[in-house]
Amino acid sequence: MNQALKPDYPSAPDERLVAWAKAGDAEAFEELVHRHRDKIYARAMIMMRNEEEAMDLSQEAWVKGWQRLVQFQGESSLATWMTRIVINLCLDQLRRHKRMRAESIEEMQEESGGVERHLPVVMVNPTERLEKEELRRRIDDALGKLTEAHRTVVILHEFEGLEYKEIAKRVGISIGTVMSRLFYARRRLAGLLQSLKRERSQ
Amino acid sequence: MKTTEVILDLQAYVDSELDAARRAEVERLLNGDAEARQIADGLREVGRLVREHEPVAQVPETREFYWSQIQRRIAAAEGGGAAHKSASSALNWLRWLAPALGVAAVVVFVAMPRPGARGQEFADSTTVMYQSDADGLTIHWIE
Repeated sequence: MNQALKPDYPSAPDERLVAWAKAGDAEAFEELVHRHRDKIYARAMIMMRNEEEAMDLSQEAWVKGWQRLVQFQGESSLATWMTRIVINLCLDQLRRHKRMRAESIEEMQEESGGVERHLPVVMVNPTERLEKEELRRRIDDALGKLTEAHRTVVILHEFEGLEYKEIAKRVGISIGTVMSRLFYARRRLAGLLQSLKRERSQ
Repeated sequence: MKTTEVILDLQAYVDSELDAARRAEVERLLNGDAEARQIADGLREVGRLVREHEPVAQVPETREFYWSQIQRRIAAAEGGGAAHKSASSALNWLRWLAPALGVAAVVVFVAMPRPGARGQEFADSTTVMYQSDADGLTIHWIE
């Protein structure tokens, strides 16, 4: 390509870069990777809790993105579309590792003491005692303390904004299991954040 | 203490997952039950905190290195695809070639004069019989 006619990739909007990339322009695709790589990596990282796997899966997601780019019609943003790809790869990986135990509600009640146990009251005001970044870090730590099954449901619900039935479909569990996993995860998070509040006020 | 069903209904209410009728039921409960309100508020607060403080992470590699690895994978996948395409094309040829070679082998075998073998051409010129006593073999070749 003539240097004088080379597109101005950094200032082009995503839609334009996608159109160029669809036509086979790898440099346009590289610019998209550069713009969104942290978000895609962060999603893989929060699901896998392992830097090496997160790197591998985020890169694999970009490879799939390139291969399937013609299917991307722009109904959502490219970042959202790519996030969906990386989450599917993470779910596949978790299934392969057999980490996602098929926990029935009963088994979870045994290990967690039943749904009926009260939810700890959490009223943390981040502007009061905690810096936002510190709270973000602590929430990340708390998410890391959940089981993979619980964390997955929280991520799909809170960050991806998926409805119960969509989560059930994606993870391959019933809606009832989605509901109970989400409740246990929230209760655990509430407990972890409550202890954070206590720790801070001492 | 609330039952599992009530607690999960409260959660579904907070998550806007209930139909209008169930929603109205839960709202009635919330109006007159402090414990139910506390559970709903707790669920809402945890959800809000998590959503508003989504963990972030940065790729621990340079732009160039990260992209070079992706490029290599794309090239490998595309190369693999080409290899797969040529392999299946070769298989398609083999699908036709194998029977043709078989027929050709039989024809050569039939046409080859062998000691102790006698061939008989029937009145119908397109039918040939080959018999070998030594091999205990009889072949009828019909064209």
